[in-house]
Amino acid sequence: MQLLAERIATWLGMEGLPRQAVVAGVVLVVALVVATVVLTIAGILTWAERRVAGRTQSRVGPNRVGPLGFLQWVADGIKLITKEDVIPAAADRTLFRLAPYPVIVGIFAAFASVPFGQKLIAADLNVGVLYLMAITSLVVVGVLMAGWASNNKWALLGGVRSAAQIVSYEVPSVLAALSVVLLAGTLSLQGIIGKQGGWPWEWYLFYNPFTFVAFFLFFTSAVAEGNRTPFDLPEAESELVAGYNVEYSGMRFAGFFLGEFANVYLLSAIATALFFGGWQIPGVTPDMQAASPVWQAVGVGLFALKAGTGAFVVLWLRWTMPRLRVDQLMGLCYRYLLPLSFAMLLGNAAYVWLVPQWAAWVVQGATTTVGLAVAGVFVRRVFYHIRHVGDDVSLDLARGESGTFDPQLQVRVYGAFRRRHAGDSAS
Amino acid sequence: MRAFIEYFAAIGRTVVTLGDGLAVTGSYFLRRPVTLQYPDRTEKPMVALLPERSRGMLEVDLDRCPGCTACETACPIGCIRIEVSKGKPRLITRFDIDLGRCMNCGLCSEPCPTECLKHTKEFEGGMYKPDLLLIHFVEQPVPVAPVKKGEPGPPPKPLGSILRRLLTDPYGRKRPAPAPAPAAAASAPAPPVAVAAPQPVSASTPPVSATPSAAPPSTPATSGGPS
Amino acid sequence: MAVAIPHREELMLNMGPHHPSTHGVLRFILHTDGEVMRKAVPDVGYLHRGIEKIAERQPFAGFVPFTDRVNYLEAIFANQAYALAVERLAGIQVPPRAEYLRVIAAELNRIASHQISIGSVSMDIGAYTPFLYLLREREKINDLFEALCGQRLTFNYLRLGGVAFDVKDEWLRRLEAFLDHFEPAIDEFNSLISANEIFVKRLAHVAPISAADAVGYGLVGPNLRASGVDWDLRRDQPYGIYPELEFDVPVGRGIRGEVGDCYDRFWLRVEEMRQSCRLLRQAVAKLPAGDVCAKVLRKLKLPAGEAYGCVEGARGELGFYVVTDGTDKPYRVKIRSGSFAALSIIEHLSRGLMIADLVAVIATLDVLAPEMDR
Repeated sequence: MQLLAERIATWLGMEGLPRQAVVAGVVLVVALVVATVVLTIAGILTWAERRVAGRTQSRVGPNRVGPLGFLQWVADGIKLITKEDVIPAAADRTLFRLAPYPVIVGIFAAFASVPFGQKLIAADLNVGVLYLMAITSLVVVGVLMAGWASNNKWALLGGVRSAAQIVSYEVPSVLAALSVVLLAGTLSLQGIIGKQGGWPWEWYLFYNPFTFVAFFLFFTSAVAEGNRTPFDLPEAESELVAGYNVEYSGMRFAGFFLGEFANVYLLSAIATALFFGGWQIPGVTPDMQAASPVWQAVGVGLFALKAGTGAFVVLWLRWTMPRLRVDQLMGLCYRYLLPLSFAMLLGNAAYVWLVPQWAAWVVQGATTTVGLAVAGVFVRRVFYHIRHVGDDVSLDLARGESGTFDPQLQVRVYGAFRRRHAGDSAS
Repeated sequence: MRAFIEYFAAIGRTVVTLGDGLAVTGSYFLRRPVTLQYPDRTEKPMVALLPERSRGMLEVDLDRCPGCTACETACPIGCIRIEVSKGKPRLITRFDIDLGRCMNCGLCSEPCPTECLKHTKEFEGGMYKPDLLLIHFVEQPVPVAPVKKGEPGPPPKPLGSILRRLLTDPYGRKRPAPAPAPAAAASAPAPPVAVAAPQPVSASTPPVSATPSAAPPSTPATSGGPS
Repeated sequence: MAVAIPHREELMLNMGPHHPSTHGVLRFILHTDGEVMRKAVPDVGYLHRGIEKIAERQPFAGFVPFTDRVNYLEAIFANQAYALAVERLAGIQVPPRAEYLRVIAAELNRIASHQISIGSVSMDIGAYTPFLYLLREREKINDLFEALCGQRLTFNYLRLGGVAFDVKDEWLRRLEAFLDHFEPAIDEFNSLISANEIFVKRLAHVAPISAADAVGYGLVGPNLRASGVDWDLRRDQPYGIYPELEFDVPVGRGIRGEVGDCYDRFWLRVEEMRQSCRLLRQAVAKLPAGDVCAKVLRKLKLPAGEAYGCVEGARGELGFYVVTDGTDKPYRVKIRSGSFAALSIIEHLSRGLMIADLVAVIATLDVLAPEMDR
């Protein structure tokens, strides 16, 4: 960051300025840019969520504002900004107003070290993974504040649930990420991406069975940390009405809302960096990419694609899964995720220590094959379901031909009616 | 050992069943959505999509009404109000149906000897004031129809044409004479019948359209009543 | 599942009358210790419309549309129970074709009601999509009903002495086409949600009702059968032409947990939908020709007497007790509905459950506010 600041100062011909001022200015600009990008991503994800929800439920989803309803999120944003910001009379006003900010800050600040591209990163921290895990924990403070300050029992339950959940799931997600850190030997996200390659078999996902499982552990705990279904207990609609944000409206509600969706992208971006090779392009080495702006752009696009796919899966999961119960949620964390992620960490350590290079290649190939086979089975299953029920689930099935308008027919039907009851009215 | 097996079996079951669930929802990305985009993007007007027995709002064809008040008796909630004068040409001076209270049960149209009281397929009766749904079918006293049981009587008018003429828009204003798109298709067969009689009457009762709640328009009924 | 609760301060929570998972306007007063409930006290009456009183000022035939409103999800059953009572009093013989049409309408309605029921179970557990799949299928049933009798929810299809409308062959073909489509759709629903491990874990072993409790609290229908009591009015107290049709009565056997738990109640309804499909196919195949309504006087006057007509509704025994006094109106009508009995057991079940479990219990007991408040 400071180097960047010096370069910009030189470029502007303002070497004379105090360095702190330049740094502050640059940081401000970068922060604004990142915030804008994140807001846009979160907004687009809200639209994507509704489209995904629509299509999974054989509906169409929003399709009126803009092409495919794409501008729906802008309309929603404008609506939320212009809405009244209601604060309940009995609420703790200060805390109530403050609560959305830790959520927004926690999520948005995390984006500072998300490697969107080889050069496109606000701050390539050497403790990147640690920073991400730490800064996103800020969310829990906001959620707890919101739950407490609303002075609403349902909100309080939601806030407490959220606190318990986020704190618990932090642990397995960090442990699963540690597996990768162990293999890469660095905490820097750029460093981790640099150790992987462009082709799927070069990703850490397929590096060995332990990372393969670690990915799913990481993903599950990250989804849980983001309060998404099947772990959306803090805002469980059918139990707690809306959970911690039940009393919020207008822009403050939008703060929580955007934070949630930014978190969805964040978790898939981290997963992309840790397990899916980040911005690495198949067949292009990092050095080649560094040299060419075109490859840079492709790399950024590829990262966005991978992270977008991850976010899509998170949205898709939401519209498929039921919700766990509180005790089951904790049980899942402490009985399954935590021991398993420990096991994967130890497994990876043993793997690095014991397995020779030639065997590692074989394992890598085998894991990739297994992964692809699983994907194949899944696709087969998709087509099985389509065949089983039939592609046509439309309502016309029951409507039939007689849906057409025929006034004469109607008269005839009522005529039959009259004839049947003719005897009654006479007697 | 059994606990150990059950531990991993539970994980396996979870993964497999969740995967299958994802396959089901995923398959819907490859199927066509079924949404009928109701008000404005249906392939046909909604009224044309309804089956022939569809029980919508009631309408009465006074040219065929014998004034027998069988419907009034049959209605379980009394939302039909009929007054027939006792003079020599017996006049129907009032035929009101409160569509806001009507529960579309169809019991009134069953005893109707001439099929003059029928359920239309019209169902869009959202009004800002409930009394706008109180439809006064008699605009000027009409003599009872001399239709006997079994006789054909005057030809039936296209279903819904009478109701559409009397039904206001949500604000209580008269709807424009050439009916908007959904209505146009249905009333296309016989517009001359529909527009024949009522021109002078609609002009004589402007309060209905202007301030609907202020003037319960029983004016035509009282003027024709004491004959 | 019973959790020993230490004696501590408790939190009182108002669940409803406006709450997403109290179906209709129903209120529970929860006394909880954190998430664990000490008891949940139901508070009913928010949807009381005085239907029993309305009956006393309606002619016998005029009350039929009101029975639709007793429970809008199973209007046909209320129609039929009332019609049975009055027909018993008046000695009306229903023509065979009308009996078959009653079965067709009733079983279609049972499917539609169970679709809402199991769909809302999955929605209350947190999965929204299965609910919408079932609503999509229910929409087809609604379309069928609309073509059959002109309405989609409050059908008013049955008349004293028969049914209101005859069916055409084309409609029967459409019904069969729907069944051909719907039976695989049940499989799809099962692989989406019924088999889902999270879903099973949420319902299995939760709030089991013993057979003795079920009988003691007067549970009826699927809730009773899920507890292992093999009792179905269609078979054990036959009415209409059910004796001529073949069907099985599914009984809870604790397939994923123990007998009478939430999953049993859920699964029983899934199985009943299949049985209803079976009944529908038989009824369509056997449908005789003939009249669809007996001759009934429009001004029906019944001598003083009393009769009870009950049918196996989607929420169990739905009974109408009709007392007449020689006029053309009933003297008194009493409605016995399954939801009210099901609601009464919730307080007993709720001790030691979590709030999320209570939601599952309400949904699987299929408690519907209009039916219990009337």
